[in-house]
Amino acid sequence: MSDRTLPRLLQTPAVVLLLIWMLVPLSMTLYFSFIRYVLNNLRRPEWTTPSLSNWRGFGNYEFVLKSKDFLFAIQNSLFIVCSILILTVILGVLIAVLVNRTFPGRGIVRVLLISPFFVMPAVNGVLWINMLLDPVLGLQGLAVNGLNDLAASLRDAPLIGWFFSLWPEFEPISFRATQTSAYAVIMMVTWQWTPFAVLIFMTSLQSEDQQQKEAAVLDGASTWAQFRFLTVPHLGRPIAIVVMIQAIFHLSLYAEIEIVSRGNGNKNLPYLIGEFANNNIGAASATGIFAVILANIVAIFLLRMIGKTLME
Amino acid sequence: MGRIVLENVTKSFGDVEVIPPLDLTIEDGEFAVFVGPSGCGKSTLLRLIAGLEDTSSGKILIDDADVTAVSPSKRGLAMVFQSYALYPHMTVRKNIAFPMRMAGVSDAEQEKRIAAAAKALNLTDYLDRKPGQLSGGQRQRVAIGRAIVRDPSAFLFDEPLSNLDAALRVGMRLEICEMHSRMETTMIYVTHDQVEAMTMADKIVVLQAGVIEQVGSPLDLYHKPRNVFVAGFIGSPRMNLFSGPEAAKHDAATIGIRPEHTEVSTTEGTWKGIVGVAEHLGSDTFIHVHDTGLADTVTVRIAGDIAVSHGDTVFLTPQAGQIHRFNADGLRID
Ligand SMILES: Nc1ncnc2c1ncn2[C@@H]1O[C@H](COP(=O)(O)OP(=O)(O)OP(=O)(O)O)[C@@H](O)[C@H]1O
Ligand SMILES: [Mg+2]
Repeated sequence: MSDRTLPRLLQTPAVVLLLIWMLVPLSMTLYFSFIRYVLNNLRRPEWTTPSLSNWRGFGNYEFVLKSKDFLFAIQNSLFIVCSILILTVILGVLIAVLVNRTFPGRGIVRVLLISPFFVMPAVNGVLWINMLLDPVLGLQGLAVNGLNDLAASLRDAPLIGWFFSLWPEFEPISFRATQTSAYAVIMMVTWQWTPFAVLIFMTSLQSEDQQQKEAAVLDGASTWAQFRFLTVPHLGRPIAIVVMIQAIFHLSLYAEIEIVSRGNGNKNLPYLIGEFANNNIGAASATGIFAVILANIVAIFLLRMIGKTLME
Repeated sequence: MGRIVLENVTKSFGDVEVIPPLDLTIEDGEFAVFVGPSGCGKSTLLRLIAGLEDTSSGKILIDDADVTAVSPSKRGLAMVFQSYALYPHMTVRKNIAFPMRMAGVSDAEQEKRIAAAAKALNLTDYLDRKPGQLSGGQRQRVAIGRAIVRDPSAFLFDEPLSNLDAALRVGMRLEICEMHSRMETTMIYVTHDQVEAMTMADKIVVLQAGVIEQVGSPLDLYHKPRNVFVAGFIGSPRMNLFSGPEAAKHDAATIGIRPEHTEVSTTEGTWKGIVGVAEHLGSDTFIHVHDTGLADTVTVRIAGDIAVSHGDTVFLTPQAGQIHRFNADGLRID
């Protein structure tokens, strides 16, 4: 037995388990995506059991490609993911830099900052859409009404009345509508995931070399220049990590989309799969394969862009 | 120009007074070295001058202008840190250019000064590397380059060589000395190293617990230490200090004799003792002598070699006129 055989043998169970774990679902999805397979069809009952005799070739793929929501779902997936990434990274860096200073009550502030991350996605969705964003009963509705009432009451005031009489009446926005439901999802997920970014950036900021900062002060760098030339490059690696992890997570958003508008005006690939899976398992599987391809494209893109920072 | 004056400067961290009121003048073009035991406030003093710490009271003047409340970058000083404090994400070129970039110097001028600094410091081949790809000595040179291009009125060094190995340290020491004689800029240098202090300084400032014990040229301090502390601190190996009856014979509370000012004989002499450890360096031999009745050990330094070994009896004789005498307050008696 050569030196390598024993270690290989010992690794085998783990490798085999991983292969099964990945390969079985993937090959089943592939299989279903090439056959006609529906849960319920009175005219063609034979389609309700998966079998090779129902072979459809690329028919399911064609069907998905031609369905009206497919392109939109891909675009919308990317739109939601990119928006969340940009917002969480910017907010995360700003908050981390602010909280990294010493001030009274810092411990409590940090705990409070982290807490949104521990709210379940579905609960997060319900809280936001009903309590914060609802145009009548939510915080948004109350705030807009309050503002309108205030403007109305000031309209008759002397001296400044004319100013407020020129103000328009504000309309609350309905975030369940076709045009706005994606923004609602972006807001709630950003709220939930910014703490994650803050947490990672904060740890990194604490390892920043103070002597470098002092050298920069002597070199005449303003606070902004120190942030721009020292802190931001120092955060390069944690930003890469935050972007990678979040990109993977948010491509599969589901609960928030379901709760905000049931996919009205706001679908992504997982949601589309869910819709097809109500009956047409073949089409759902084909969409699943498209989702795998999209995830891989995004991953390759990210690795190209970010991998270099990570490997340095 | 770069004449630095501290007037009644104090510094406290919370309730702890690290620097009691202190006056010090460093003349333009002078090479001043701060020495003292660990924690005596050398770095704090340097940081006060640089402006990285605010004084608790007192004034700091640079070229007769009061800079106590002036921001660090406006004081026109450059500092080199023990940990180099290079910017790890920038190339050597960008590191050196950084202070000029912050000051809005034109690109052409930047290039010119970078090239000059790189040439002077032997860094031309490394300009496009990142600090992580350089050796310790090269990193230290980059840090010095970054200081030079600002054309400061004074350089501040905080133990710049203590992270380097012995050979490099000697080389860099010479380079800094040469740089000083070429540029004739004021330099303030903090070190633990006796040799660095003695060889580089125009003026040594000996500190203890934030108090200046003595200021003077290296040889001044060596030949005429003002008190027992300076006597024991300057010189390597340390001066032997005795109190008691032997000191009383010289009308002093304490007397000191340097190891190199003591003769050794195996047959006769003033003090008798037994050889403990003998360290043979080739050029010199350090002998630690016990049971002299004067102090725990008396260290003797003789040029060349001598055939003594552990347990031998030897006689020690102080050279005439080389005994330092101190009174009960620890001050020198002349
Ligand atoms: N930021 C600070 N807060 C509180 N105490 C401090 C602070 N910085 C320094 N000290 C104290 O001030 C004293 C002087 O410190 P300093 O760093 O100047 O010593 P040093 O002479 O440079 O020592 P070393 O030779 O070990 O570098 C020390 O007792 C130290 O504990
Ligand atoms: Mg120090």
